[in-house]
Amino acid sequence: MKKYKYLFLLIGGLSIFGCSDLEEEPVGILAPESYFTSLDKVQIAVQGAFAYMHNRYFLTRETGMTLMLRSDMVEISDPNTSLDRRDHNSLTDAATNDQTYQGWKIMYQIIASANQAIAGADQLNEEAAVKNPIIAQAYFARAFTYFHLVQQFGAIPYFDAPIDNVQEASNVSKTPVADVYANIIADLKFAKEWLPNTQTNKSIPAKSAASAFLASTYLTMGDYPNAYAEAKDFIGKKGDYDIDLEPDFQNLFNADIVTKEPIFILDYTGDSSLGNYSTDYLVPLTGIRKDLQFGSTQEGWAVMVPALKVYTDWDPLDYRRAVSFNATAKFGSVTAPDTPYTGFFAADSRNKNQPYIAKYTRFRGATPGAEGRASSTKYAMIRYAEVLLIAAEALNEVTPGTTEADGYVNQVRKRARDGAVGSVPSLVPANVSGLSQTDFRTMILEERRLELAFEQKRWYDIVRRKLGTTVFSASGLEGAKTFTDANYLIAIPANEVINNPKLGL
Amino acid sequence: MNLKTKLILIGILFYNISLFAQDKYLLSGIVSDQNNVPIPGVNVIVANTSRGAATDFDGNYELEVKAGEKIKFSFLGYISQTVTVTGQKKINISLAEDASQLDEVVVVGYGARKKSDITGAVSSVKSEELAAFPLGDATQALQGRAAGVVVQSNNGGEPGAPISIKIRGNTSINASSDPLIVVDGFVGASMPQANDIESMEVLKDASATAIYGSRGSNGVVMVTTKKGKSGKLSVELNTSYSVQNTANKLDLLNADEFANYQQTIAGNPGYVQGSGDTDWQDLLYRTGSTANHQFSFSGGSDNINFYASANYFKQDGIIINSDFEKLTFLSNIDAQVTDKLKLGMNLFGSIGAKNGVSTQSSGDSANGGGDDVISLMFRFTPDRGIKDPLTGKNTTNSIGENVDNPYAVATERVNETKTDNYRTNLYANYDILENLAFKTTFGFSSVNETIGTYVPSTLLANDGGKGGTAEINNRRSTTLLSENYLTYNAEIGKGALTLLAGYSYQKNKTFRFGAGAQDFIDDDFSFYNLSGSNVTLIPTSSLTEQEIQSQFGRMNYDYDDKYLLTATVRRDGSSNFAKNEKYAIFPSGAIGWKISNENFLKGNDKISNLKLRASYGLTGNQAISAYQSLASFDNISGMYGGDIVSAVVPNQAANADLKWETSYQTNIGLDLGMLNNKISLSLDYYNIDTKDLIIADTSQPVYLGFLTAASLRNVGEVNNKGFEINLNTKNIYNENFSWTTDFNWATNKNEIITLLNGKDILLDASPSYFSRQDTHILREGEAAGVFYGFESRGVWQGSTLPVGTATLAGAVAGDPLYTDVDESGVITSDDRKILGDPNPDYTFGITNSFTYKNFDLSIFFQGSQGGEIFNLTNVQLYNGDSNASKDVLNAWTPTNTSSNIPRIANRRDLSSRFIEDGSYIRLKNIALGYNLPEAITEKFGMSSVRITVSAQNLLTFTNYSGLDPEVNYFADSSSSSTGNTTQGFDFGNYPTIRAVNFSLNLKF
Repeated sequence: MKKYKYLFLLIGGLSIFGCSDLEEEPVGILAPESYFTSLDKVQIAVQGAFAYMHNRYFLTRETGMTLMLRSDMVEISDPNTSLDRRDHNSLTDAATNDQTYQGWKIMYQIIASANQAIAGADQLNEEAAVKNPIIAQAYFARAFTYFHLVQQFGAIPYFDAPIDNVQEASNVSKTPVADVYANIIADLKFAKEWLPNTQTNKSIPAKSAASAFLASTYLTMGDYPNAYAEAKDFIGKKGDYDIDLEPDFQNLFNADIVTKEPIFILDYTGDSSLGNYSTDYLVPLTGIRKDLQFGSTQEGWAVMVPALKVYTDWDPLDYRRAVSFNATAKFGSVTAPDTPYTGFFAADSRNKNQPYIAKYTRFRGATPGAEGRASSTKYAMIRYAEVLLIAAEALNEVTPGTTEADGYVNQVRKRARDGAVGSVPSLVPANVSGLSQTDFRTMILEERRLELAFEQKRWYDIVRRKLGTTVFSASGLEGAKTFTDANYLIAIPANEVINNPKLGL
Repeated sequence: MNLKTKLILIGILFYNISLFAQDKYLLSGIVSDQNNVPIPGVNVIVANTSRGAATDFDGNYELEVKAGEKIKFSFLGYISQTVTVTGQKKINISLAEDASQLDEVVVVGYGARKKSDITGAVSSVKSEELAAFPLGDATQALQGRAAGVVVQSNNGGEPGAPISIKIRGNTSINASSDPLIVVDGFVGASMPQANDIESMEVLKDASATAIYGSRGSNGVVMVTTKKGKSGKLSVELNTSYSVQNTANKLDLLNADEFANYQQTIAGNPGYVQGSGDTDWQDLLYRTGSTANHQFSFSGGSDNINFYASANYFKQDGIIINSDFEKLTFLSNIDAQVTDKLKLGMNLFGSIGAKNGVSTQSSGDSANGGGDDVISLMFRFTPDRGIKDPLTGKNTTNSIGENVDNPYAVATERVNETKTDNYRTNLYANYDILENLAFKTTFGFSSVNETIGTYVPSTLLANDGGKGGTAEINNRRSTTLLSENYLTYNAEIGKGALTLLAGYSYQKNKTFRFGAGAQDFIDDDFSFYNLSGSNVTLIPTSSLTEQEIQSQFGRMNYDYDDKYLLTATVRRDGSSNFAKNEKYAIFPSGAIGWKISNENFLKGNDKISNLKLRASYGLTGNQAISAYQSLASFDNISGMYGGDIVSAVVPNQAANADLKWETSYQTNIGLDLGMLNNKISLSLDYYNIDTKDLIIADTSQPVYLGFLTAASLRNVGEVNNKGFEINLNTKNIYNENFSWTTDFNWATNKNEIITLLNGKDILLDASPSYFSRQDTHILREGEAAGVFYGFESRGVWQGSTLPVGTATLAGAVAGDPLYTDVDESGVITSDDRKILGDPNPDYTFGITNSFTYKNFDLSIFFQGSQGGEIFNLTNVQLYNGDSNASKDVLNAWTPTNTSSNIPRIANRRDLSSRFIEDGSYIRLKNIALGYNLPEAITEKFGMSSVRITVSAQNLLTFTNYSGLDPEVNYFADSSSSSTGNTTQGFDFGNYPTIRAVNFSLNLKF
């Protein structure tokens, strides 16, 4: 009996907790194999791509600064601002530039999310007519992002499916530029086919967004016949797309006014609660230090400022100049008298005596963050005026000297002349007509530079038209900058090349 | 089976055990020494039971025994005797002094061994050493006491900062190097208060730690708390108070110097001097204090022993607005229910509150790294006051990153950590046979921690105009532990055999939640009224569960007290690992040879003890946390269609083959005692190969697009080899005066053997607002975490480049010259190289203890030689866009071209000029104690009164230019692990303190 008792005790001690199979049954963790059970879930995966697109590392801070500073329009204001920024401005950026790295990373995160959504939809047994309009958004997001990547870096790693094998994917070679473009075209065609004509919000791509970027991609590739054809197709369908020129140029840069002109936007709502995922920074980055004209807590950081010549060369009678620049500021209080730009430096040594960009700062909308962080800006990724200018530029290359091409430009110019609604129209910019092919080409690039000033288009124009040696010469807007053809491409981040040496080949 | 049912079952089991008392009677006697002087406090124990008593002041004892039982008499410093009871009522014993004094009992996993029988590498720290000076965390008592054990605060002198322990180097890369802490048999417990600890043992080699299998590779710290002794009730009161100051300050520019520096040196001619003149260090440092009060009482009868204690610790830090408070209760009860059954319970509970200033910030670039009081104190411009005289608001930096002044951050930012800690462990020990015992323990612990932070709207840069940001994060971790094991003893001829076999089950659960809000109606709410806000942040919650089940066994065989053999094995299974790799087996073996017990040495008058030890074994490291081997999506919140929506994104790829990290450790040791053990020396050599290291593969390109830009793989191998010396000498020993010296010395060489595809892994420890990518590197053939960057070669004068050097593109005269590693003529990221090693060549500690009559004096030096420090603080202070060290006044300018300090250029390139020798020797502690003569204490009814005065960190000898050579920046002071790869970085550390302490110990 005595012995049985300890046996009981022993068995009891062991059996209380039994034997576990040690299987993990995670609660609250999402597993890829089991996640996609309905198209609703695919939609949530699609949203991942667009959520990343609104992250600061993309166009509203890091990547946006890269594009603006590299161009001949925008330079550094605060001389002590971070070196990564200064290096992009002087085109001396090294492969270790962290700003480049962060932008590269976020773009590939957008792509991975889009790929995951597209693959997730394949797991479902749904009709094309039901699922394609949803995944067409992911196709658009993928094409849109690769379009940025290929313009910045040239040949790049290209994936159109989720990564299953990390080892393999870490050793891929770069995909040639032509192949990347072919894939972008294919994705945009799919998107154009399946997206609806309009969406409830322009930060969700519609058919118009796919079509506009298709035209832009063809133009960048130098495929002018297709660029013209696509832009023309868009112009013909602008009614279906509910897209048109906005009469007052200023309204395009007013966060509180919805206009027909933007085709695809990044839509910020003045909400900083998601940190980097909902906060845009171009307002403070382009604002004036100590300037209280937009509110007592709304001074800027004076990181970026247009070269003075951008302002002085621009015809003062062109309404777009007044819309594009803040040439005065209020220092000390919100009701202080206006200080002209020649007094900006005296107010704070981080300012320069140059007018600052107004397109983002002037009508920023509800902005809970101090200094304009988390504004309500709707950043147009492409708008109808650009489609008109694409049509004009492409047509001039296919068939020079048409009045049709003049007409597209003149629509944009007339709107500029008209100024604010109700004001007396200006004489500037005058209509164009009868230009040679070469002069028209020069004119259209200048028109894009002014119409789309500070909208992150100029660097790409310099790259695709190989303007570097001209615009960075001593007579350029920013004065002489050391420039070679190698500067047309941004170096793929050093860490990526270390991790996959094939990217260095 | 639910918990309730299980508890009922346990109850039934215990109830079923009937009592087996038979023929007991009272035995008494006197224990004396060879000179017939009675010895008080001798343990008189019935062998193989826990029944026992202690002799009183006159050496008397009384004990219930029955015929046939063996009674063991033992006392430290004397040779134990065992007598078999044959029915006599009185047994008087004379104990002989033990010259070897090696019969000290050492606690090991699931048991205890005589120190002389130990075959592994084990270091002990006893309660007297623990009480040498007041400690907020008992872990600090290990500092410098045991060779090969490196103890360091994770954040200088911050009140309540976690203390990290590293035993024999970093045996991992990605996983924790924290040792396993076992308190009274409870695995993974939190450390009790120093005053409540009887002894701490550090198990270092595989033979000692393999019994803890997958948790043994970092070593094990065995903690035994105080138990009651049968006999007179003892009441003890300990109280101590200390005064503390910063051990050092930096010599920075004042307002005039600063303005002049900006205008003439830092390339900022338009700088307008502000109206203030503030020494931010003076403003933030204060005289800190520590108070510690402990009250304990203990005692027992023949059948029940108890110990109960309450401890209150309070520290006001040397930085304003930082303090820590902790109340701890501990009680141990042991009851001899029958002669075979012993039951007991350990209870521990504490409540702690840490009110911190933020330090060691990650330096998030979103607010310019400006949430870190310490680095702000150095960076912030001195020509500003606390408030802007015009606006009345907090000042922000006049240049560089837009940050708030440190005083505002220290006083207005709220950062509170409240921790409740509770643990209980119940045990039953049952003697099945005379030599076979079964022990079962059942324990539960719970840690509940709430961290609340509030950044008020008055912090302009920090808060970013969000109108105040409050966050609350809560963690509740529970552990359920059941251990069951049999111990068998047998004497077979000249051999003694001990066998152990057991089963263990442990379940850990951690539940976390967090909530936050912004834009408050009133800053006074702090984080206590989240609903008083306009913006609600996304709340978070998560649950992780982990199960570990194990079988273990051990055999000890001693033959003729000459040859020792130990073998252990543990089979561990953990839910954390991938399906095919759930289980692993960790065996070990050790042999010992007591050469001094051989005939040819027996009775030798020079060599009193000589023992050779050798061991080999496998131990593991559960380097991953729950669910990390599974592929996953993560959900993020983001903007879509003009709204905040939930979205899922790819988080990481699956790795179905993730398994345990395993250390293969060899230890060879020698113990030598000479001249009747007046000199005792221990030497240990070890070699630890850790394979299948789980490496977060950050060398995975980020173009894969995962949210977590790394995946875990078993790819690495790291080696640690080292040598340890412990030397104890009794230099003078007579009635009135004694002098002993304890010296320990250890060297460890860490080397990475294998990395994924042999590829370097670049790591960054710099504050993220630096916008640098890499500070250190993992490379095969090098120690983990060696510093990486450009090698400084002086200043470029604008003319020809010295051979082998170059500058960065676009450099001008005065810019630094660097070694042109790839000889390309220009410095690029390809010119970076290894610049230094944070691992010291050797560390040592030396304690000299003197006693003279009732006085005792202890002087403890600690040192470290050859480790280097990456002074990230100086990277900022030489950058131009902040306040600066006085040295910048001598920086290169066109009119001062002979300087070796480059032009102040506002670029934080990381180079060897910021790497310094971190060697030091430090007078860690000096303590003078006085015991009042008994004649006096008796008048007050006290058995002893002790007064101690001590000082910590009184002197430091170092060439390091920063605040303190004991740096530990890794940008996260809330974790108890520093990581193995991020060492030797200095930025925003809470300063080390210098303290003077008074303490009083009363025993009744």
